Amino acid sequence: MKNFREVAAGKKSLKKDYVAVMMWFMGRAIQAAAAVDMAARKEFAGMPDGFTFALSVMPNGPHMIIGKDQRGFVRYKGWDPEGKKIDLDMKIKNIEAALLLFTFQESTTLATARNRLVVDGDVAHACAVVRILDIVEVYLLPKIIAKLAVKRYPGWSFRRKYLGRMLIYVRSIFGL
Amino acid sequence: MDMPAYYEFCCRVKIISGHDVLERIPATLAELTARRPMIVTDKGVVGAGLINVVVNAIGGRVDITAIADDVPPDSDLRIVNSLARLYREKGCDSLLAIGGGSVMDTAKGINIIVSEEADDLMRFSGANALKRALRPLIAIPTTAGTGSEVTLVAVIKDHEKHLKMAFVSNFLLPNACVVDSRMTLTLPPAATAATGMDALSHAVEAYTCLAKNPLSDAHALAATRLISDNLLKVTLNPGDKEGRLGMASAATLAGIAFGNSMVGMVHTLGHSVGSVCGVPHGACMAILLPYGLEYNMHKNGHLTAELLFPMAGAPVYAATPKEERAQAVIALIRRMNQELYEATGGRHARFFKEALDRDGREMVPKERLPDIAETALRDGSISYNPEDLDYDDFLMVMEAAWEGRPLDTGLIRKG
Ligand SMILES: [Fe+2]
Repeated sequence: MKNFREVAAGKKSLKKDYVAVMMWFMGRAIQAAAAVDMAARKEFAGMPDGFTFALSVMPNGPHMIIGKDQRGFVRYKGWDPEGKKIDLDMKIKNIEAALLLFTFQESTTLATARNRLVVDGDVAHACAVVRILDIVEVYLLPKIIAKLAVKRYPGWSFRRKYLGRMLIYVRSIFGL
Repeated sequence: MDMPAYYEFCCRVKIISGHDVLERIPATLAELTARRPMIVTDKGVVGAGLINVVVNAIGGRVDITAIADDVPPDSDLRIVNSLARLYREKGCDSLLAIGGGSVMDTAKGINIIVSEEADDLMRFSGANALKRALRPLIAIPTTAGTGSEVTLVAVIKDHEKHLKMAFVSNFLLPNACVVDSRMTLTLPPAATAATGMDALSHAVEAYTCLAKNPLSDAHALAATRLISDNLLKVTLNPGDKEGRLGMASAATLAGIAFGNSMVGMVHTLGHSVGSVCGVPHGACMAILLPYGLEYNMHKNGHLTAELLFPMAGAPVYAATPKEERAQAVIALIRRMNQELYEATGGRHARFFKEALDRDGREMVPKERLPDIAETALRDGSISYNPEDLDYDDFLMVMEAAWEGRPLDTGLIRKG
C-alpha cells in the first residue's frame, strides 16, 4: 500500500461543514426542547441521569453529543467525542447519507429503511432519541419541509407550535 | 411497482429442502470440513422423537460428539454459556441446531462464544460487531414459522439482568439449512396454526413496510401463496407431507423476505404482548396482523391490495374492484383465523381476550394493555412501519385487538 495516495477531501469538507453546522444548531435546539416541550421532557425522563448519546457521521464525524447531567438537566455537549463516555451512538454510515438527511431530501424514516443508520447501544433509548429528533424538527422547520422529515406531522395546538417554536429558536441562538 | 432508490439484500444460506433431505447432513458437514458436530435442541423436540429421526438419517456416518437438549423456550444467556463450555470440553467443531426460534438463537449465541473465544457475549451485541466467519452451523427447523434458519439475527436474554440482547451480523446466517417435511409432521394443530401465521406476518409485513425491495417482494409473494394454499390443510390434517413441505418452504421464504426488509407494528406490538403477558409469538401475530394492515391502510393500502392475488388467486383478484382489494385481504386473514380457530377446536385465539394458557387462565388481562403500549415504545421494529404510533395509538390498537373488533378508522390519526 506504499503507493497509495491519499485523496484530498475537497468537496467532502464542504459537505462536512454544512452537516456540522446543522448538527450544532440541532444539538442546541434539543437542549432547548428539553426545557420547553413536555413531550421531549418526558422522553428524556426515561433516560438515566448521566446518560450521553451522540448522532455521528462515520467514519470520523462530525458528531452531535447530548448529555443528561447528574441532576437531570439536558445539555448539548459539543461536537468532539474525545474523552466522553457515549452510551448510545447513532451513526450515519457516510457523509453523503448525512447530507441527504440534513438537506431534508430523505426522511429519517427512509434513511432507517435504507439502512443508513447504525445504532450502537440500547434500542429502547434509540427509539426515544428518534422521537425527540422528530419533535425538534417539527419546531425548527416549516411544515412543508417537516412533513418530509417525519412520518406523521403532529396536530399540535397553536400555542405549543408557535410559542414553542419561538422559545426554542431564541434558546438555541443564545445557547440556553 | 415500488422501486427504492437504494436497497441491500443478502441471503447466502444454502437451502436443502425435501421429504428426505436429513440424509444430506453428513455430506453438507463434509463440504464445510466439519466432522464433530454438537446437536443443540430442546426437550420438546426430543420428546417428539425428532432427534432420533435425525440421528437415524445420519446413520453413523458422522460422529455426533455432543447432544445438548436443555434449551429453554426463551433463549437464555446462562444456558448459552454452559453449552459453549460443553462444546469446548467435548472438542466439537460445528453445530446442528434442531428446533424453533429459541434453539436457533441459542446455537448462534454458542457459535459466537466458541468462534471468537470470548467469555463475554455482550461484547458482540448490536449491529455488525462480528468481523469474521464463525464455526459451521446447520439449521434444521422443526416449526414452519420463525424463519430463523435464514436470518442474520439472534436474540438472547439475560434473565438475571433483565436484558434482551440482539446480535445482528451476516456471519450469524447459518451455513446451510436442511428443511425436511418429516420434522414438522408431529407439530400439533394449534402450534402449526400459530407458527404458520407468524410466517404469514413476516411475508405480509416485509411486503407492506418501509424497507421492501423487489428481491424481498418476490420471496414474500411466494411465501404468501404457499401459506394460503397449505396452512389450513396441514392444521386439519397434520400428516399431509406435501402440505408440510409447502409450509416449510413458505416459512423459509418469508424468513428471507423479512430478514432483508424487516417487519413493522405487528411485530412491535407482538413482541410487547409476548414480553408483558407471555403469549406465544405466533399467536400474537395471528391476532395482530389484520390490525397492522388496517392501521397502515392510508399509507400502504395499495401494497396490501396486491396481496389478494397470491392469497385468493387470479379469478378472485380480477373480480374484486381495485379499491376493495386491500379490505378483501384483511377480511381473508380474519377468515383464516376463524377457520384455524375451528380447525383447532378453539385453541387458536382470534383475539387477545380469548388467549388462554395451559391451565385455561386468561393470558392478557385488560388492565395490562397500558403496560403493553408502554413496552411497544421501546421496540425498534416500529421504525420500519409506514405510519407512526405513539402510546395512545398503540393502546387504541390493543383495545380493538383485545376485544376482537375491527379498528375504528375514525381513530387513526393521519398527519
Ligand atoms: Fe415473527
